[in-house]
Amino acid sequence: MSAQLKPLGILKSYVGGQTQVSVEANQTVREIMRALNIPSDLVALVMVNDQPQSKEYRAQDGDVITLIAVVGGG
Amino acid sequence: MNGYGGHILRVDLTTGKFTKTPTPENLAREYIGGRGFGAYFLFNEVPQGADPLGPENKLIGSNGPFSGLLIPGAGKCDFTCKSPLTGGYASASLGGLFTAEIKYAGLDSIILEGASAQPVYLVIDDDHIALRDASALWGKGAITVEKILKDELGEEFQIACIGPAAENGVLYAHINHDFGRQAGRGGVGAVMGAKKIKAIAIRGTKSIPVANLDAYRQAAMNLYKACKDSEGLKPWQNLGTTMVVSWCDEIGALPTRNFAAGSFEEGKSLYGPVIREQIVITDKGCFGCPSPCGKYSRLKRYGTLVEGPEYETIGMTGSNLGIADAQDVAQINFLCDEWGIDTISAGGAIAWAMECYEKNILTRDETDGLDLKFGNVEAVFALIEKIAKREGNLGALLALGTKRAAQKIGKGSDQFAIQVKGMEQSAYATHNATAMLLAYMTADVGAHHNRAWAITYDLQVGRELVSADKVARVIWLQHVRPMFDMLGACRLQWVELNLDLDLYIPALEAITGIKRSWKDLELVSERIWNLTRLYWAREQKDFGRVWDMPSPRFYTEPPKTGTTAGQITKLDDVNRMLDLYYDQRGWDANGLPKPETLERLGL
Repeated sequence: MSAQLKPLGILKSYVGGQTQVSVEANQTVREIMRALNIPSDLVALVMVNDQPQSKEYRAQDGDVITLIAVVGGG
Repeated sequence: MNGYGGHILRVDLTTGKFTKTPTPENLAREYIGGRGFGAYFLFNEVPQGADPLGPENKLIGSNGPFSGLLIPGAGKCDFTCKSPLTGGYASASLGGLFTAEIKYAGLDSIILEGASAQPVYLVIDDDHIALRDASALWGKGAITVEKILKDELGEEFQIACIGPAAENGVLYAHINHDFGRQAGRGGVGAVMGAKKIKAIAIRGTKSIPVANLDAYRQAAMNLYKACKDSEGLKPWQNLGTTMVVSWCDEIGALPTRNFAAGSFEEGKSLYGPVIREQIVITDKGCFGCPSPCGKYSRLKRYGTLVEGPEYETIGMTGSNLGIADAQDVAQINFLCDEWGIDTISAGGAIAWAMECYEKNILTRDETDGLDLKFGNVEAVFALIEKIAKREGNLGALLALGTKRAAQKIGKGSDQFAIQVKGMEQSAYATHNATAMLLAYMTADVGAHHNRAWAITYDLQVGRELVSADKVARVIWLQHVRPMFDMLGACRLQWVELNLDLDLYIPALEAITGIKRSWKDLELVSERIWNLTRLYWAREQKDFGRVWDMPSPRFYTEPPKTGTTAGQITKLDDVNRMLDLYYDQRGWDANGLPKPETLERLGL
């Protein structure tokens, strides 16, 4: 039961520069970020399988979770 | 001249005469274009003490060397004038398709001078220039007028026009273009209205010389490829700036009930995916844009179509007014667009009035019978019209902007007038985000976010932290971000798609034939930043540190609710940031450039 996590932009630096990491499913995106020490405050948007989801979304087996960093504002 | 239209057009509205002169090469070299040209002409040509709504003021519309070329987002032009809202420097950026036509008509700046006795509109069709009677258009809404002129002149003409609010002298009236793009801030539309010019319609068919065609093509394709390859493209295109609503709510930056808090208990109703699902019908981009952030919406409840709402409008006229419905906010957006007022300043002014009403500072008599409680959307609809018409006590009061309104009403209402230099603060609550607060305090037009968006840096290095490094970051942003307004391109591909800044350098060299590094460009930007500071000092006798102070709310009233509940910036830290900022800029303790700084910058 695993999902793929893709942190974009500056968020990569929190997973050693990797573009994709495998994470255990059946936990919320917020819990996954906490476990990896990715600051929630820097994540503007969570996309799961290309659909926007909240940070309380519970990951399922095979999900691709993309974390989009806040970059520069309007 | 490579990369430029080649001429400056002056339109004397008093006499009806047109003058075209070649764009000076040294002007292009030292001020680049766009906001740089605007600042130069404003400082050198508008006399000290000019009435912003009088004929001595000038409205300067300028593009840059990227405008109209194959550069991502090269659809930006700048409108500069003396601001009727602040009494200082105004510079408002306009997206869409207008700037490309300026360039194709062989122009770099259009300078509107004097004032017409009767309503007119300006038509530029390459070298054929005419002022036409606009009596039949006067009083009509900005979106309506754009459609009328498109029908009359042809789809290929691009239109910049004003609504009734600008005609009536509302001090934060905007200029509309492309059915919902605006040069929004500082009252540039009011200056156009005072000159009695309802619209500018322009079409150009000329080619633009570039220094090295092959290198230009290659550099441009590298930029577009970087956009296409960006992992951020898909979500950005899906949501545009509404992407940050949920984030701002979560971190306590979403302005709520006149910035009393930074999180909105009903905020979820305004999050980007909700807006997209409920009302958005298509994406809409500016000239040359590979990542269109514009969203066009249909409001079934109101029977209207509107571009938006984008983040600023959601923050300022949604949560900041206690309104939590996507269609309601989008309809406010539509009304502001059609009447012709800036949604940010309108949201700020109305929120201030709502707080006055709830605190019994304004009675129901003084609100002309409106029950101006936070969340009363019908009252907001009615008030927008009253402001645009300067109708009744409250409409006339709020048409002056929040700072002046608070000065007139008194009773402590200045303590919650959320503005700097007379400009309403845009939609980031800064109770505990010191870099973003400093960015607002020191922005050269007033409390606007576009010069430096530093709130992410606050979160990265510590929200409360006050340090030389943080101040340096704000200054760096104040030099790099406005450079895009000089080049005539959108900065959002850089900031949102994470493009490498260095990709722009070979494009600029290939187009203009002049080799420049970002260090060179930052120096130009610093020169213009200091020039605009000198302009403020020239126009306002007491200009200095006191003008850089934020709303007292951010150092006296911690939010009672939300993520930032109980958090506040200390006044000592506000002053310490200013000390560090002035020192790094080479300004004195009152915030005025030292002689050696001006000498270093060639001013």
